[in-house]
Amino acid sequence: MKYKKLTAILLATVMTASMLTGCGGSAPKTEEGGSKETASSEEEGSKDIIDFTMFIAMPGAEINDGNEIQELIAQKTGVRVKETWLTGQSAAEAVGTIIAGGEYPDFIDGGDGQMALYDAGALVPWDDYLEKHPKLKEMYSDEEWDRFRQEDGKIYWANIFQNTYGEDKSTTHNDEAFWIQNKVLAWDNYPEIETLDQYFDLLERYVAANPTMEDGTEVIPYTALCEDWRYFCIENAGQFLAGYPNDGSVIVNTDTMKIEDYNTSETTQRYLKKLNEEYQKGIVDKEFATQTYDEYIAKLSTGRVLGMCDQWWDFYATVNDVFKQQGLDVKGCNYVPLGLTIDEGMENMWHTYGDTQNLANGIAVTTSCEDPDAAFQFLEDCLDQEIHDLRFWGIEGVDYLVDEDGLYYRTEEMRMQWANKEYQASHRCVYSYMPQYMGTSRDGKNAMNPDQQTSEFFSSLAEPLVDCFDAYGVTTYVEMIGSVNKETGPWYPMYSYSSNMTTETPGGVAWTKMGEVKHEWLPKVVMSDNFDSTWSEYMTAYEGCKPEDFLAEMQTELERRVSLAE
Amino acid sequence: MKKKSIGDRIFIIGNTIFMVAFVVITLYPVLNTLAISFNDGIDTVRGGIHLIPRKFTWQNYYTVLNKENMITGAYITVLRTVIGTFLALAANALLAFIVSRKRFLFKSQLSLFWVITMYVNGGLIPVFLLYKNLHLTGTFWVYVIPGAVSAFNMLVLRTYMVGLPDSLEESAQLDGAGYMTIFARIISPLCKPVYATVALFVAVGQWNSWFDAMLYNRMSDKYTTLQYELMKLLSSVMQQSGSADGMRNAGNSITPASIRAAATIATMLPIVCLYPFLQRYFVTGLTIGGVKE
Amino acid sequence: MGRRKKQIKTKQEITWKEIKRQKVLIIWSAFFVIYGFIFYYLPLGGWIMAFQNYKPKDGLFHSKFIGLEKFAFLFSDAAFLRVIRNTLAMGTINLVTSFVMAILFAILLNEVKNVVGKKLVQTISYLPHFLSWIIVTGILHDALSSTGIVNEMLQKLGLISSQINFFAHESYFWPIVAFANLWKETGWNAIIYLAAITAIDPSLYEAASIDGAGRWAKIRYITLPSIKPTIMILLLMNVGNVLNAGFEVQYILGNGLVQKVSQTIDIYVLNWGISQNDYSLGTAAGIFKSAVSIVLIIIANRLAKRSGEESLF
Repeated sequence: MKYKKLTAILLATVMTASMLTGCGGSAPKTEEGGSKETASSEEEGSKDIIDFTMFIAMPGAEINDGNEIQELIAQKTGVRVKETWLTGQSAAEAVGTIIAGGEYPDFIDGGDGQMALYDAGALVPWDDYLEKHPKLKEMYSDEEWDRFRQEDGKIYWANIFQNTYGEDKSTTHNDEAFWIQNKVLAWDNYPEIETLDQYFDLLERYVAANPTMEDGTEVIPYTALCEDWRYFCIENAGQFLAGYPNDGSVIVNTDTMKIEDYNTSETTQRYLKKLNEEYQKGIVDKEFATQTYDEYIAKLSTGRVLGMCDQWWDFYATVNDVFKQQGLDVKGCNYVPLGLTIDEGMENMWHTYGDTQNLANGIAVTTSCEDPDAAFQFLEDCLDQEIHDLRFWGIEGVDYLVDEDGLYYRTEEMRMQWANKEYQASHRCVYSYMPQYMGTSRDGKNAMNPDQQTSEFFSSLAEPLVDCFDAYGVTTYVEMIGSVNKETGPWYPMYSYSSNMTTETPGGVAWTKMGEVKHEWLPKVVMSDNFDSTWSEYMTAYEGCKPEDFLAEMQTELERRVSLAE
Repeated sequence: MKKKSIGDRIFIIGNTIFMVAFVVITLYPVLNTLAISFNDGIDTVRGGIHLIPRKFTWQNYYTVLNKENMITGAYITVLRTVIGTFLALAANALLAFIVSRKRFLFKSQLSLFWVITMYVNGGLIPVFLLYKNLHLTGTFWVYVIPGAVSAFNMLVLRTYMVGLPDSLEESAQLDGAGYMTIFARIISPLCKPVYATVALFVAVGQWNSWFDAMLYNRMSDKYTTLQYELMKLLSSVMQQSGSADGMRNAGNSITPASIRAAATIATMLPIVCLYPFLQRYFVTGLTIGGVKE
Repeated sequence: MGRRKKQIKTKQEITWKEIKRQKVLIIWSAFFVIYGFIFYYLPLGGWIMAFQNYKPKDGLFHSKFIGLEKFAFLFSDAAFLRVIRNTLAMGTINLVTSFVMAILFAILLNEVKNVVGKKLVQTISYLPHFLSWIIVTGILHDALSSTGIVNEMLQKLGLISSQINFFAHESYFWPIVAFANLWKETGWNAIIYLAAITAIDPSLYEAASIDGAGRWAKIRYITLPSIKPTIMILLLMNVGNVLNAGFEVQYILGNGLVQKVSQTIDIYVLNWGISQNDYSLGTAAGIFKSAVSIVLIIIANRLAKRSGEESLF
């Protein structure tokens, strides 16, 4: 997932443009950093407000100066943070330039470049401050905090995502699955679909009976995205079908504690052979290998595509918006996840329960910050329930209402307004890379984040989706996919290691090469007239990348992580 | 005029067909962008919009024009375009004038010195360190000074100047005119078409740049540019934020195709409006008296 | 141009008298040399990165030296040699096609006698230059899809029996890239030639008409020779740019099936260098490209000089 299309494109523009313009770089301006500035407002209780700067090495939306909630938070905490986001560069490149300049914003989340910031001595250790700030410390257990320690034994950042407070409230399956339109399930009276074969069998029968949509457009029974880093949609189903969780890049065999390669596994071979068969039958989209992400989303949005394998976050937002606008949701076009396995009677682990602690990056305070006490105090304040509600729910009476049971809810108008771009810039202030929680609010009733408020979730479900859930006796997407809730090991997920490999090690070289080979051969194998011979050509090319170097390094890392936990 | 020959007639018909085909092919992407810019963002995702918006809206333009700092950005962009174009034109023309003098002793060496600059590039970080040490960072001047002379524009100008008759310079020199006078009074007035061309190149480059603004003013809005503000807007509504965490956080954002289209049209418009003023120099076949030998 | 003389090839002697006479020119030259040195040559100190294992924390001055390791890495990788081939091939195809089209378009446009029509065509022709590659490639992808206009037309004309998936075949990739470039930049590239054409003395055409020359003759004997210096200079400059065949177009239009022919040097550097925080590899590739460009330019320039054509230096 390292190469980002947009970034890449813009990098290219720069490469070409630099010839003519002589491109250059500069330090971020941090003049305002930590400087005190008296708020000009005459209201009583107004105090000195500290303006901090923050750089986040991810694309994001700026908010306007004078943003309403930002001002409200500033009044309550005495701190205002100006966020600047990554634009047209890779995270590492942006961070590289900032380091070269030697001047940092007060807060930073360096993304892929976080380690370089630590190396450059740009970050302030948290250890002393954690003791002073109980809410901040509460974010993680001691064991979890220890995982954030760097080589010098200190903590320099905390990742603020996937951190649940209290009871887990998640209703959506925010991970990968084989998805299917609920109308297809309805057509066959909601059968139990457990295996890949049953899945494609259902698609075949449905298409035979319903070759076109109501408006006459031909349906596409199944498509698979292969574009750039999103090729995981075709690449990693093998690990899930074999009943393993999303370690990504490898399987960890918990019996032997050995790293296994799913690319060459029998399950993956059977999965690809199945895709190949279905491609020959015309069930798999003829253009699956060459479609762009935009085309893929466009196809899904028309409701023509009956099924695909993908991560929920990769498609749901746009596609569900269009379905709603076009009235396709009431026609049963919404996708539901199926927890498929290669054979019957296996447990599936498609859904990741609990939090996945991402150690690679997170919020940090830099050495350029003139008032680190205030900075850490602000991190602490961000977790205060009142501030947290302001950030994620908004202002009571304006952005949400409270019913007699104390449950927060929104009217349709409020929901629309909350999603409006201009409103987001002038009114909402999420500070989305500051410490935050998922899960249950401290009041014990509401969700920390409106996306997880159960009542909000049910009120937004289309009728066919409700019928579908009812038919299977479930209430949420999570229950729908029916993954076993087994605890993952302390090494989980292994992809957090492989995605940071570099070409400095043989394993990293192998990993990059394997990626290139898979990009080329996976679609070729699926489209081949002779599966077996193409598969063996693929395997020859794959072996040429020396995957054993990669696997050996993963094994070492696995052992390191296991020993660390003991 | 003589009567048109058959060959000429065939030529005219063929040429007209070619031009019409050319216009249709090149106009299509522009009209398509225009149509998408007026189409509802969510509806656009479905694809299939060609020349007419399916679900008409002003919303995309509203979003683009309401972006914060748009006024500052527009002001700085206009300023850098005007100053940058003027500066670059003056500097490149003078340099081109020098290397186009046939008697100039170092014309070959100086040309080579500049030609090489087209093919070498120190890279992002070294250039950045240089500007920082020159105290150009955090100033407006970083937009106009580093790129003022470019070998490409200089060579275009030089080629034109070399083509002017030598007799002009010689007779002026006989009248006692110095080099600067010859440059300002004799050569420059004859170079209007090529000056207009280079001015257009530089102006469009300045108008469209945003990367330098991003690097030099990452944390401050004082010297932001129009295109940088638009880039920020686009990258924030971008679904393709490139990583799982980014995607998870992007939440319910719409695909930016419509907003991108609106931003494209909005920034294209001023250039299109200004263009006719420059165009007359290189389309209408303007002739300058006294060029003939 | 028609009226230009062949360059006088007398070697200028450097004498005090001449230097004094050219004092103004030399002073201004010195200014331009200082400027060029600071803004273009000084940053080349950064090339040292190619011989280091550059780490942001150590900076340019304290990173570890590794000699030619990065170059060895590049040239021992078969994939790098393949991307050089791709870059050269696409660079050359783009160079030739964009040149021919721009000149052809400029000349033919000049033959349009209706001033309004001429201005209109010219204005429209350069507009795609302002569209980003994402937009242009998006439209191209659409047009070439199985249900796109190209397949539809080919089928109606009976040229193909079943739809072609243009992006799945290696052999179509280079032509598609070349077309994308033409589509976006032909009108823009033609501006420079149009400007050169305006400098042609109209009396030449009048004289030719009186002599009974037709359009072809005029184009061949007046227009083309007149803009030849411009053509030559641009050709020479662009010869040095063949290794900068681009990146965006190939990146967006490419996919796994065609990656063997679609990847350029810049894409390679992105995959192996930039995306892995390896600045040194990118710098090494940059030095290689610069070296090739300069060699190409010197050869081309010498050839041009020898045949008495316009030269860069």
